[in-house]
Amino acid sequence: MSQYKAVIGLEMHCELKSNSKVFSSARNSYNEIPNDNISAVDMGFPGILPVVNKKCVHDALMMSIALNCKQPEFMYFDRKNYYYPDLPKGYQITQMESPVGINGSLEIECNGIRKKIAIHDIHLEEDTASLDHYYDTSCIDYNRAGVPLLELVTEPCLSSADEAVAFLETMRSIYKYCRISEADTKKGQIRCDVNVSIMEENDKELGTRVEVKNVNSFSNVYAAINYEIKRQSELKSQGRYNEVEQETRRYDEESGKTIRMRSKADAIDYKYSVEPNIPKFKIDPAWLKEITSSIPLLALERKDKYIKELNLSDYDAGVIVKEREYADYFETCIDLGIDAKTASNWLTTQILGEINHQEINLADFYITPVLLKQIIDALNVGTISSKQAKEIFYKAVEEKKEPKSFINSDSAQISNREELEAIIKKILEENPQQIEQYKNGKDNLFDYFVGQVMKNTKGKANPIITKEILRNNLDK
Amino acid sequence: MNKTIEELHELLKNKTITSQELIKESLKKSHEVNEKYNAFVTILDDAKETPITDNLLSGIPFGIKDNYSTKDILSTGSSNTLKNYVPFFNATAVEKLLNAGAVPVNKTVLDEFGMGGTGTTGHTGVVKNPWDPKRMTAGSSAGSACAVAAGVYPYALGSDTGDSIRKPAAYCGIVGYKPTYGMISRYGLFPFASSLDHCGVLTRSVKDAAIVVDNMKGLDEKDMTTWDSSPINLFQSITGDIKGKKLCYIKELCDINYYPDPSNELKEHLKNFREKLENFKSLGIEIESVSVDQNLLNALPSVYVAISCVEATSNMSNLTGIIFGPRGKGKNVTEMMMDHRTTGFSPLIKRRFIIGSYILQKENQERYFKNACRVRRLLVNTWKKLFEKYDAVILPVGSGPAKYLDEEKETLSKDTQVLEEHLQIGNFGGFPSITIPDGFINNLPVALNITGNCYDDANILNIAYALESSMDYKNQIAKEVE
Amino acid sequence: MNNFTEELVDDLAAKLLIGLSKEENKMVLDEFAIIDENLRKVETIPNIKEVEPMTHTLDDFTFSLRSDTAYDSISIEDALKNCEVIEGREVEVPKVVGGNDE
Repeated sequence: MSQYKAVIGLEMHCELKSNSKVFSSARNSYNEIPNDNISAVDMGFPGILPVVNKKCVHDALMMSIALNCKQPEFMYFDRKNYYYPDLPKGYQITQMESPVGINGSLEIECNGIRKKIAIHDIHLEEDTASLDHYYDTSCIDYNRAGVPLLELVTEPCLSSADEAVAFLETMRSIYKYCRISEADTKKGQIRCDVNVSIMEENDKELGTRVEVKNVNSFSNVYAAINYEIKRQSELKSQGRYNEVEQETRRYDEESGKTIRMRSKADAIDYKYSVEPNIPKFKIDPAWLKEITSSIPLLALERKDKYIKELNLSDYDAGVIVKEREYADYFETCIDLGIDAKTASNWLTTQILGEINHQEINLADFYITPVLLKQIIDALNVGTISSKQAKEIFYKAVEEKKEPKSFINSDSAQISNREELEAIIKKILEENPQQIEQYKNGKDNLFDYFVGQVMKNTKGKANPIITKEILRNNLDK
Repeated sequence: MNKTIEELHELLKNKTITSQELIKESLKKSHEVNEKYNAFVTILDDAKETPITDNLLSGIPFGIKDNYSTKDILSTGSSNTLKNYVPFFNATAVEKLLNAGAVPVNKTVLDEFGMGGTGTTGHTGVVKNPWDPKRMTAGSSAGSACAVAAGVYPYALGSDTGDSIRKPAAYCGIVGYKPTYGMISRYGLFPFASSLDHCGVLTRSVKDAAIVVDNMKGLDEKDMTTWDSSPINLFQSITGDIKGKKLCYIKELCDINYYPDPSNELKEHLKNFREKLENFKSLGIEIESVSVDQNLLNALPSVYVAISCVEATSNMSNLTGIIFGPRGKGKNVTEMMMDHRTTGFSPLIKRRFIIGSYILQKENQERYFKNACRVRRLLVNTWKKLFEKYDAVILPVGSGPAKYLDEEKETLSKDTQVLEEHLQIGNFGGFPSITIPDGFINNLPVALNITGNCYDDANILNIAYALESSMDYKNQIAKEVE
Repeated sequence: MNNFTEELVDDLAAKLLIGLSKEENKMVLDEFAIIDENLRKVETIPNIKEVEPMTHTLDDFTFSLRSDTAYDSISIEDALKNCEVIEGREVEVPKVVGGNDE
């Protein structure tokens, strides 16, 4: 879209899931009632002290490891000092000097192409209070103050809005795979800042960096980046590149434009200082090891595995790894011995269709892999037809009864060989004339016998087995 | 009220007196002392007696420095920014004393938020020295020192960031003890400089200090810097036997020849100190002179100001008058916060904030702040090295008795002597440190200080007790001179 | 020697949301001149740059982290009892305009 090369960096804030907040024991959960998940610590009353939540450190280290970052030997926190009504202590506890992770990298896939994105750092910090704005007043709700946030900062190494969104999607997937955040943009759990500059294809030096703050959905990230590339490119191609300032802007959803907030000259010196109330503590290598081993295989790794080892199509593998619960379901099916292609087909069509229809999570879906296997086994041995398999699937979902209860009842096929042999033996004994004619060359009488068997069993005889037994008896 | 905690407990136990009588007496005394010396922000006239238990503190009145958060009791930090603040929670140390059955009867004046060493910057006015009201108590635990010395009760809580317990204790002729960093929870103590702030106590005897801190200390889930001191019982560790202990003093601070133009008070103070050291040797201890790098010592006052200002400016950013404290005037939030802070803080604090903020500027951090933190480590390491060989460092406190109020100097003057500031090393390293009176100059008390290694509180208190017992200044009540 | 000027003092004061009189401004500069002089002497201490700055009082590294247990919220009465202007369950201030910096 532009004759210039774009250079993009991202800062991604993601709220972590936990029972209590990161530096206080107040609940960490969304609450409609203002100021109902608060402690003295969250409101910055005189004399309060932060106490670090172990789970949050654990989860932050997990992300650090998952993103191939280097973890510090000692952990401590810093204060970012500034005044704002949503910051009751007058500083935010964050990590500046010794973040949980530095110098990492993450592989993403964008339009079928894999690319490694360099991660500058990832650090654990606390969220601010939220402001509700009215006609001429603002009201402060401290429920969100102290909610754990992980902030991830990439190097400026993304080259398009597509890549930026692919990166964010990958990150969201990792958060969810690791189960440390719901990573839901609709709930405001992910917030991004975007840096955009442009340069000539062969330039060595980066262009002027413009920051767009507080972009709160991936589609807005996409739009903000493209708007900035367009704005900067137009100025550059008109010879007015000097009008692109190193500045902070915000994205206005209504107009689809970015709007200037302040220039670099007004940039705030946050005067970082060490948080002395949180002792420096050594990160136990054994703990790191334990965390490392608890990290699940992530989406792209699983996708590769499904394609290479299980011969799934790129498309099917992509659908399955979209959510960890899909992939886990799929892998349980494989572990139970279900054929990969079969499992993939059932999962991507019937099962995902049904949970979307019911608007439920796969975890809450009645047909577990074990129950699915009952259907697939019956299908494999020919007890049921594929049409019947689908019918049984929906019946089981609807009545919340195990599929096998339908397979064994009246509606199911008769695949029992002995049972069928007995029936066929009786039919043959009753039709000696027809046998004679068949043996004399009247081949089409074979279908007559099949028809007799079906008539006798009210159509429930397994046609394949029936034909097999008939051949054995007639052709010998 | 001029008795020790043990004596009072005995009297309460055998019902010679009641808790109610003690409280009444203490409250009466509080009003008298406030009239004369302006020691209190709040007097709790409705203080109620508590049952007498086996706890030595039960039923006995005490004072709380007004920078401790006290539930449903005005807690101002002696600042206009909190002049109407009534907390809904108790500081952990206060809570522990309440659980012990102790009875708070007043909240004492301090230098605003503990910043300052004169007892003159509190929002309710200057605290005067009960030995001579023309003189200062020093600070910041000014009201606590004044009240304990005047015999309002046997003990009051203090806090100590540079020497805020140990200096006023010296000027008021009493005992001031700050234990190892993290022994007492700081939860609910209004912060000045968190890495230097210590809770502690002012008493009239070493044993009383041990009893009180035994009841204040302990691991607190609300303060990550606390450690488990449950195996330590300070009171029971006091035997008075210190044979074989080794102490040292710093030559560069104690030798009069290092002072180019010494005052008579300084001469007498150091002479008295050296005489006392000689006497102490008869207790079977060794006392040696050691030498310390003077460049490090000379950097001490500025390093302290740099570190404490940096931490203070951040710690007090919550004081904006939005959630608590009086709302400032203004058209918008920024103006309101600005008005609150401009009218609420005293000039000293404002200046220190700006210095702290300048030092923290990105381009200055390395040159000023990090270097200050480096000198801090060098000084602490120097003292730790001494503790490898010696049980404690013993030094005179200040350059003489209490200074006159009209010669107050809060600005950091170029000729400030390291002798006035050396107690700050105890805060740099979190060392246990106790001041005890060691004599009189012109009928005004002077003191010495004993500082030991972290976690070695029991040893330090035992040494202090033995030295205290060898002198005549235990349990003294201030008598106005002239 | 140092770049601390009257203007910078005023600028820092404004950022700290503090108003300063002319005399106070001067006192800051005088006071800092001493600190500046002393801390510049520190730079001459041999190998000073190799010393790890001391930021935490006890460097034992053995402190433990809190388990992830949530406690009930403080009551709204306690939370707001010292606040001079409230609206419903919230702290009220004049309308905050302009973006949050974070």
